[in-house]
This record gives sequence, structure tokens and C-alpha cells, in this order.
Amino acid sequence: MAGSLLAPAPPAPDPAAPGGRLRRLRRALSERRTRFGLLNATPVVVYLLVLFVYPIFGTLLLSLKAEDGGWTLHWYADALRGANLDILLTTLRISAETSLLSLVIGFLLAAAVSRLKPLWAGLVMIIVIVPHFISALVRTYGWIILLGEHGVINDALTGLSVPGAPFQLLYNEIGVVIGTTSVMLPYTVLLLYAVMRGIDRRLPAAAAGMGAGRLTIFRRVYLPLVAPGLVNAGILCFILCLGYYLTPALMGGPKQTMVASLITEQVMRQNQWNGAAALGIILLLLTFAGLLLLRLVKSARDAARNRGVS
Amino acid sequence: MPELNVMSESPALSPAPGSGTGKPLSVTGLRKTYGGVTAVDRVSMEIAGGEFITFLGASGSGKTTTLMMIAGFCEPDSGSIVVGGRDVTRLAPQKRGLGFVFQQYLLFPHMTVWENVAFPLQLRAIPKPELRRRVGETLEMAGLSAMARRRPRELSGGQQQRVALCRALVYRPPVILMDEPLGALDKKLRDQLQTEIKRIQQELGLTVIYVTHDQEEALVLSDRIAVMRDGRIDQFDTPRELFERPRTAFVADFLGAANFLPGHLEQQASGHTLVRLDTGGVLKARPHPGAEGAPVQAAVQPGRLALGAPDDGFCSGTVESVTYVGTLVRVTVRPSGGTDTGPIRLELPAGRAPLVGERVGLTADPDDVSVFAAEGGG
Repeated sequence: MAGSLLAPAPPAPDPAAPGGRLRRLRRALSERRTRFGLLNATPVVVYLLVLFVYPIFGTLLLSLKAEDGGWTLHWYADALRGANLDILLTTLRISAETSLLSLVIGFLLAAAVSRLKPLWAGLVMIIVIVPHFISALVRTYGWIILLGEHGVINDALTGLSVPGAPFQLLYNEIGVVIGTTSVMLPYTVLLLYAVMRGIDRRLPAAAAGMGAGRLTIFRRVYLPLVAPGLVNAGILCFILCLGYYLTPALMGGPKQTMVASLITEQVMRQNQWNGAAALGIILLLLTFAGLLLLRLVKSARDAARNRGVS
Repeated sequence: MPELNVMSESPALSPAPGSGTGKPLSVTGLRKTYGGVTAVDRVSMEIAGGEFITFLGASGSGKTTTLMMIAGFCEPDSGSIVVGGRDVTRLAPQKRGLGFVFQQYLLFPHMTVWENVAFPLQLRAIPKPELRRRVGETLEMAGLSAMARRRPRELSGGQQQRVALCRALVYRPPVILMDEPLGALDKKLRDQLQTEIKRIQQELGLTVIYVTHDQEEALVLSDRIAVMRDGRIDQFDTPRELFERPRTAFVADFLGAANFLPGHLEQQASGHTLVRLDTGGVLKARPHPGAEGAPVQAAVQPGRLALGAPDDGFCSGTVESVTYVGTLVRVTVRPSGGTDTGPIRLELPAGRAPLVGERVGLTADPDDVSVFAAEGGG
């Protein structure tokens, strides 16, 4: 948006001249600045083409290839049927649960940190982020030690004679969600912290001056200002979870198999590349669908707001 | 430019149920220190309902801190604040029910203009039809009806400040506090909004406390001005009194850029004081307590001096410069004789302009001359 505000509006194309667009392109290419810009962009474009666009198209082709060399959709049909469909739905559910939990914890943490003096806030953020320099594998084993039947947490709960202890905290959905949330937390905290820091602290004060209580200020002023950050963090978290492999594989039970595990299984055990490619493409489409949904929700909200005023 | 419409024929706000006027406010012995530094010291004042009061002072004079204590954003170390008979000293800002306009507007960026103005009414659970009517009226009064659906960032600074003003007016608070609300605007817009603020304040009988460092703005707007310095009120009076009878050298200097003429008390006569100026002459002034021979400064506003024949008045000298400023001329006169204490500034009607180099005498009405003990002032 900032770009469109800063850049002068391009001259309106002359409808009478069909070659206008081409001519403008040629003129643009002859400018020194444009040529220099293209030169600079080349390494990145080549990099993306080789390492991003080509593999995705390769995967797409693979997922549409039948064993006899013809075209088929049956890999997709397989992926959306029976046990595979269950795994897909589980993946969506666990991703949603993890995103929600990361958002709630991330929100509380970021809100608390954004109230601290910058020095302390920096320290707390380091504490949040530094554990993620350690390999995810090591951290996951750490969680297994903590959460096991005779792990630290269950021992403590049993020692306190909490009824029902020891709890089953591993190899089920609780375990997966705890583990994955801990991996996703830095993303939500960092994103939300940045948004919260950007909020003018005098706005809630101004609302208080007009007579708003704490709850109203939170609901009508603070939350709407943080909302874009919440949506972004939630979507990012969800997308990262969709394809996340390590923690669910180690901390979940057979019922918590996620798509990434299924893909590994198909490739490593069954040497079934076409089915794995179809699953990969489905994940990609789900991600796009999520982003599209986000945009639709936003424009619907804007439209409703404009109607509400008149 | 839409914001340049002056809404001369806009409808007046319908009076609030109960009362349409602002409430009185009294402040007693307000004091605030920050780590050993006294920001506000023993500030007391009585403000009547419907009065327009300005805290005038340089930055660091304690004017904003005093306002923030009245607002409730900052707690006084001691003293009390009573609004409309209710002690609010220890209440949270949202319990005081006051209105605010800040220099930085502080509009809610995620709400439209309409939603911003409706917000304080929604907090008060005003029924929808009345809410709609009141928001509509207020926006119309400020000439903002066409912009109701825009977001604050789509408006100019002047328009944003009008929205902020609407948001403070719409719920008819007993007292409205304004912290340099026009500080971020250019001169022309500022003059225009001053007129509007004053008109709305008088129409609705609002009690307004206004903070500014601009003496001209204070003089234009206020019923009374509290001139603040170093956390204290130097003088709290009508603009006219401050101008004509400044109680301290600081006030005389800050408000009117007075001429300060050093000298010594010569004689206390009935009804006036005589001052022997360092330039040689004797000046008749308003009574000033003090021993004979004490060093003093006599202060006269440039507009209160008149020219006479060279040997008339308290001082004679040579015209150094003549500058036309519209209908006025600014003249400086270099006194001759005695010690040189710098040129004296005059403001005269354009028709009475002297010539540069002319020998003149200066006269002043004793009532326009204030005398201060010598250590202060400029």
C-alpha cells in the first residue's frame, strides 16, 4: 500500500494505441535504472526458478502421472479416501489446536513482555528464542523426559497427590500439541510482540479518559489493533504445523499420524513417490485455501463495516 | 479544501438533558515531584462552570503535569481536585467523566470517524436513535458529515483534530481538558480552529482547561489565564489584568514582551511611586511597596508608551528604527543621558510614525507602569 502511495500513478494507457503497452515496456527496458534492477534481480530469480518453481512443478507432474505413463487423478483419490483422509483431517485438527494454543500463550506472553522496559523485554525475548537454537530433536526428547509416565511433571503431580495422576501426556494428542506448540511459540510471540510494540500506548489511555473500563478497552481498542497480528501469526502457525514432521512423529501415538509422516512412510517404506507428491500438493492447496479464506474474511469485514456506518 | 469551511450557519447542539453547561472545578494545594524534582508545587485555583481557562507557560513549567493530574493520568503527591462538588483526586481517569483533546489527536485508527465519535456514547449505553442523532449533530457542527465513513489516516491534521474535538464534545463532559490541541497545525488552521473552539465553548457553556505555550492563543481564547513558571502559578487572572497589571516581571515579559527599565525607588507618593531611572529621568508608576533607594525595574508594554516633545516625559532620546506592521508602527528609541540600558520599544498607530533620527520624549500613564523588585525579569 505504501508503494502505491509513494509511486506516481502510471500514465493511463491510451486505448487508441494497441501497441501502447509494448512500447511502454520497451521504453522501460531502455532505461538505465530498469536494466540495472533486472541485473540485480537475476540471481534471486534464477535461485527461485531452480530451487522453488521447478521442484513444485516436478511434484505436480509426479502427482498426476499414472504407472503406465499416462495422466491420472487416482493418487489424489487415494489421498482423500479411507485412512489417508483420516490422517489429513487429523493434521488439520492438530494444526488448528496447536495454532490456537500458540496464539493464546503467545498473546499472553507478548502482552506481558510489551509492558516491560525495553531492556527487560529484550532479555525475556532472548529467553523465549534461545532454546530454539537447540536442535528440535533434542528439545523433543527433553519434552519426552518431562512428560513421560515417570517424568518430572507426573512425578511432581503424583507427589502432590493430584487425583488421577500420573496422566498420559505422551504418545497421544496432548503430547503432540504440547510439543508442537513449544516449537511454534517463538513465531507467534515475535509476530505479536512486534504488533503490540507498534500500538500507541496512549490510545488505551485515551479510551480510559472517555470512560471505558479495562474490559471495554481490551475488547474495543486493544484487541482490534492487535487483530491483524493475531490473524497473521495464526495463519503462519497453521501453515507451519501442516507440514511439520518431527515432533508429532516422536510424541504422538498411531492416531496422531500427520500428513508429513504419511509422506515419509510412502517414500521411505513403500517407494511410492506419486502418492506422496499428491499429498504434498494437497498440503500446498490447503495452505493457499487458508490464505484465500483470510482475504475473504477481511474484505467481508470491511464491507460490513462500511454498511454499518450509513 | 473542505476543512476551510467555516460553519457559520451550522445548527447548535441540542442541550443535554439536565444541564448543557460545564461544571465548576477546584484544585487545592496540588503537588507533584519526580525523583526529588518538584514538577508542580502548591497549585490552587477555583474555576467556575462555563469558564475557559488556560495554563500558559514554557515547557517544564508544570502546566501539562497539572492537567494530567486533573485528568487522572498522573497521581498528585498531595492536594485535591473537586469537579462539580465531587472529589475525584484518587479516582481513575475513566471514573472522572472528563473530556480530553490531545495534541496528537489519539483517534482510534481502526475505527471510522463516525465510530470514533460514537465510541464514548456507546460506553454510556445511549440508545441507538439518540446516539445517531447526537453523533450526526456533532459531526455536522464541525463540518465533518461528509467524512463520517473515512478512517482517521485519510484525513488532514486539521480534520483529525476536529474529530478529536467532536469525540470530546459528544458526551457533554462536565470539564474538557485540552493539551496543546492545535500545536501540530499551521498558523492559519490554528487561528480558524481557535475561533471554532471558542464559539462551541460559548454556545454550549463548556468548562474548558486549555494548555498552551503560545501567549497569543491564550489571550484569544481564555476567560482567565494561569501563567505558570517552575511548577507554580505566577498569576491567575483575566487576560486584561495580566496585561495591564502584571504581578511579576515574568508575567509582564511573557505576555506582552514589556520594556524593562532599570532604576531605583525614589519616593512613595500617595497613589503612585516615583522611580529614578538609570537613564536619568523620573517615571511615575503604580504603587509598589519598597524602601527608598531600592533597585527596581519598571515595566511598560510597548503599546502603552506615547511620544512627546524632546523634553517631555520620563526619558528623551533618538528614534533608531521605524517598522510598519500593518496599521501599527514599531519604533525603537535609544535614550540619551545616564547609563545606556538599551533601546525602548514602542507600538504606535501608523499615522503617528516619527522619523528615524528625530529627537523625542517618552511618556506613559502611571497606571500602565508596573514596578518590580530588581532581581527578576529581563
